[in-house]
Amino acid sequence: MSTPRTIEVTAGPPPPPPAEPDGARPRGPARRTWRRALRRDWQLYSLAIVPLVFFLIFRYLPMVGNVIAFRRFRPGGDLFGERWVGLRYFKLFINDPTFWNVFTNTLIIGALTLLFIFPMPIVLALLLNEVRTRYLKRFVQTVSYMPHFLSVVVVAGLIFQTLSIDGVVNQGLRALGRDPVPFLQQADWFRTIYVSSEMWQTVGWGTILYLAALTTIDHDLYEAARIDGANRWRQTWHVTLPGIRPTMVVLLILNLGTFLAVGFEKILLLYNPLTFPTADVISTYLYRVGVVSGSFSYAAAIGLFEGLIGLILVLSANLIARRTVGTSLW
Amino acid sequence: MNYPVTRRQLLAAAGAIGTVALVGCGDDGSPQDQALAGNRVGAMDNFGVGTQFKATEALNFSILILSNPAYPYNKDWPFFKEVTTRTNVSFTPTVVPLSDYNQKRSVMVSSGNAPFIIPKTYHPDEEQYVAGGAILAVSDYMDLMPNFKDKVAKWNLQGDLDGLRAEDGKFYLLPGIHEDVWVDYSLAMRTDILQKLNLTVPQTWDELHTVLKAMKAAYPNQFPFSDRWSTPPNPGANNLLANISQAYGTYAGWDWQGTHWDEATGKFVFSGAMDQYKQMVQYLNTLVSEKLIDPESFTQPDDAAQQKFARGRSFVISTNAQSLVNDYRKDIASIPGATVVKIPRLMGPQGAVKAGSRLENGVMISSKARESKNFVAMMQFIDWLWYSDAGQLFAKWGLEGQTYTGKVEDGSFKLASDVKWAGLNPTAPKSLQVDYGFYNGVFAYGGSTKLLNSQFSEEEQEFQQAMAGRRTLPVPPPHPLSADEREQASLWETALHDHVNQQTLAFILGRRPLSEWDAYVTELKGKNMDTYVDMINRAYERFKSKR
Amino acid sequence: MVAVDLRRPDRPTGRPRGIRPSRGYRVFQVVNAVILTGVVVVTLYPFVNILARSFSQTEFIRSGQVNLWPKGFNLTTYGRVMSDPMFWTNYRNTVVYTVVATAIAMVLTTCYAYVLSKKHLRGRPLLVGIAVFTLFFNGGLIPNYVLVSSLGLRNTIWAIVLPNAINVFNLLVMKAFFESLPAELEEAAAVDGLGTYGILLRIVLPLSKAVIATMILFYAVTFWNSWFSAFLYMDRLELFPATVYLRNLIAGATAGTDQTAASDFGLQVAANIQAVTIVLTMLPIMLVYPFIQRYFVSGVLLGAVKG
Repeated sequence: MSTPRTIEVTAGPPPPPPAEPDGARPRGPARRTWRRALRRDWQLYSLAIVPLVFFLIFRYLPMVGNVIAFRRFRPGGDLFGERWVGLRYFKLFINDPTFWNVFTNTLIIGALTLLFIFPMPIVLALLLNEVRTRYLKRFVQTVSYMPHFLSVVVVAGLIFQTLSIDGVVNQGLRALGRDPVPFLQQADWFRTIYVSSEMWQTVGWGTILYLAALTTIDHDLYEAARIDGANRWRQTWHVTLPGIRPTMVVLLILNLGTFLAVGFEKILLLYNPLTFPTADVISTYLYRVGVVSGSFSYAAAIGLFEGLIGLILVLSANLIARRTVGTSLW
Repeated sequence: MNYPVTRRQLLAAAGAIGTVALVGCGDDGSPQDQALAGNRVGAMDNFGVGTQFKATEALNFSILILSNPAYPYNKDWPFFKEVTTRTNVSFTPTVVPLSDYNQKRSVMVSSGNAPFIIPKTYHPDEEQYVAGGAILAVSDYMDLMPNFKDKVAKWNLQGDLDGLRAEDGKFYLLPGIHEDVWVDYSLAMRTDILQKLNLTVPQTWDELHTVLKAMKAAYPNQFPFSDRWSTPPNPGANNLLANISQAYGTYAGWDWQGTHWDEATGKFVFSGAMDQYKQMVQYLNTLVSEKLIDPESFTQPDDAAQQKFARGRSFVISTNAQSLVNDYRKDIASIPGATVVKIPRLMGPQGAVKAGSRLENGVMISSKARESKNFVAMMQFIDWLWYSDAGQLFAKWGLEGQTYTGKVEDGSFKLASDVKWAGLNPTAPKSLQVDYGFYNGVFAYGGSTKLLNSQFSEEEQEFQQAMAGRRTLPVPPPHPLSADEREQASLWETALHDHVNQQTLAFILGRRPLSEWDAYVTELKGKNMDTYVDMINRAYERFKSKR
Repeated sequence: MVAVDLRRPDRPTGRPRGIRPSRGYRVFQVVNAVILTGVVVVTLYPFVNILARSFSQTEFIRSGQVNLWPKGFNLTTYGRVMSDPMFWTNYRNTVVYTVVATAIAMVLTTCYAYVLSKKHLRGRPLLVGIAVFTLFFNGGLIPNYVLVSSLGLRNTIWAIVLPNAINVFNLLVMKAFFESLPAELEEAAAVDGLGTYGILLRIVLPLSKAVIATMILFYAVTFWNSWFSAFLYMDRLELFPATVYLRNLIAGATAGTDQTAASDFGLQVAANIQAVTIVLTMLPIMLVYPFIQRYFVSGVLLGAVKG
């Protein structure tokens, strides 16, 4: 068997204990470490070159355009805005009471979506995992992700159909002797409707990743657990869930960071002035404001604001994840 | 010895030279003509009303073309061939699908990448590009467009055009122009039901109320009126609101404008707080509380409303000429004896009036075009194709003897028997739009009333007759805002409009008692209503004083 | 040499063999069956309805009478779409764009994810940060449009492929998968003389079939359904993918008073073009997944490393 020494020379140092960033062992001045790192891992760095170029050109270069949040941009005029206006656009939306209403709505809808929808694909994946017949399992899974392919227009149409006064739900209510409810005209119902339809549309698709993750769990661990007397439920708790934990954590952190990006088109199709108090989110509000005036600068300022929040959220979530479960983004 | 030149002599000399210069220029034309001297390649020297434009050399212009899936863009259309034959002009098109035309146009113009000619632009979409300088102030170049000027003068469109002017007094859009206000939308009714119940077609909104009550009495388990066209940001049942607001003298639904011109006081007032608006809301609330109109009218998708009408669960619905023929008539074909008609707009306290703009979507010109050496030729070309009688007729109906026969002016016009369009000649093998490229929404719109009528069925012509008899209300005076003002105003407008929409629905649907109207107006004040209206009035005064 | 055990696909993991399941477990099985049946019904019904509508006659659709079965069976709208050569041109574009874009995206994402999974790598947090940062900040529509335009990519396939080459979600998930591979396997391979490239190609990728298959599916579906990039950067009808074509058809069907063709044919198309669109765009991609499922295999057998 090879000695640790040999491994170190040919394959790099043994992986450090999880979740502790490298660099904790200084080996002299930084420049020497960098040169050493480059010499040792040049192949790895070479793999990263093309992706980095991609990021640079197609992601970071256009980001310069965000400067129009601080400069007045006139459509068709100078790309980087005509003149410096400082925090004018930020002040515009900070002082706009409607903005804070829609911001709150966005927060609430995003949080509800995360809370209710995040666990569902995991649950469904686990349930599917218990299905013995391969054919049946595939069938259920294929059907369950079909809604993912429906365009948002069709989904909205379906929702209208189901919830209309003469629709299925109200027919059921009438059968039970109750009055029909105009669901889509009640602000209180909107969040439920939105989250439920999102769940219906995304859960099936979300299971794909978890099912893939489930295949990476080592079978011997199940054997060991069984020998220790664990029943199916305890096996799930002690083997399966920890096995897919890395995937769960990554997705959770990412979803936390992007939870403000609530579905624009769907809400646009489903909302109406009666449900504005709960349904109106930042993107739909911007749409109504910007429709005539082409206020790109205003939108850019809000975009920066949302981005900042998302970044802070991801950093915090990452920190918490590292401290509690040991896995994190970096 | 030198004569000292006295100041007076100098001034006199300067005056003399100046006069000579002006007189000399008089022969060549205005200073603008001088400025355009370098842009006249290909232009005609004596282009005027009634002349066929033909460029003196082959020219090519870039243009944004909307591709309607019913007649997708086809570069081999006879339309394009004929244009080149008659005018020596060809196009370099950027083809954009109908589904997202506005967005693509917005991106192209905003990034400075737009073609020279940008059609299918509805006012006020062009306003956002004014400050950035991306589009041309076309009002400066009216002298290059004799047909446009001629029609504006003939049909008295100056007031309408003023509505397009920006704060600098210029307008930036070449609109489609109509001789008269074209009313298309109204209500459709099941005339067989009217007959059965011994009712006549209502003429006013109050009469409608009576008719609906009779219908309800005969069919107590359904709503006689279930409406459509309810897309935000407007409240819902937007056509109904537009029609009824016109009758009452305010703005609502599709017709919404933040401020309404009050002739008596010479000021603008906020539409959503007017007494007339309250009366209108009250009327609709009565309809809802008496269960004469389906409350879902204000939020349901069009399909749902159409289905109810198709199944005979409702008898009244909003319509235009096209929907009547394409949708409702076909839908009720399965109901024995069912007939449906578009009724003339119902009248209200304002009486027999019609209002609206005689301008419609039009063409923006990229400012880069101004630098082109073919600029003048391009403007003349646009003038001929879109504004001359010959050009309009050609773009709409095509080639005499080939796609049509007869004349529009004397009513002898007839589409060729082997060519079909819309409901005319439905079994003909060729389609005017698909095979020939005529009557394309990008090139053919607007025009004289006779030209417009040539496309109508007899039934529609009757409707137009009825509407033509009504008095046209004057257009409100312009109140253009500066770019900075607009940024703030759009935020206020959105907040106010949202509140108006929400409360309008709340009042109509009975969720909020009309006794709280004053509280509602106070809420509007809290949302900067007065500040907003002041800004508009100041803009109006400012524009007036500049004139 | 490292032994790699590829288990049979789809085998439910961890089931103890030859032991009678407890009563509680059997109850659970029943409940599970009920729940899953509910899932199937709720997700399948709308599709059966859409499928039915795509074959149904105008008046039945417009009066809301179509449920699970087509009424007035006809193929008019399918005919309208499929007899248009432009549709096939656009469909071919969709396939080409999807294949090329997925291939490029997979290569870039896999390479970068692998690099990011090496915890010892100096500068790793920076590299991860570069990717994560782009999740929150982007330039907006106009700067991106100007960039692509200036690079001369308009009206070429690269305008669709390049700007969307790496999806950060996919990247980070892949990274997590790579991190969960036992390090001993790579070390042993290194001892045997394999360099980084070799390890990636011969050891890591074969072991990651499940996640690679998943990512191919995710990317392919995204590109297949995408229309916005194509619509923005293409200026000619023959360059659009099928999604733009169909989206335009739907918009035309619901368009207002442009005085378009009012024939029965036009009305039939207007009535069920959305349903036909869904069927035509969904079918191919839905058929891909069952093939992908084959690759959901367990890749790692620790036993190969022990001892």
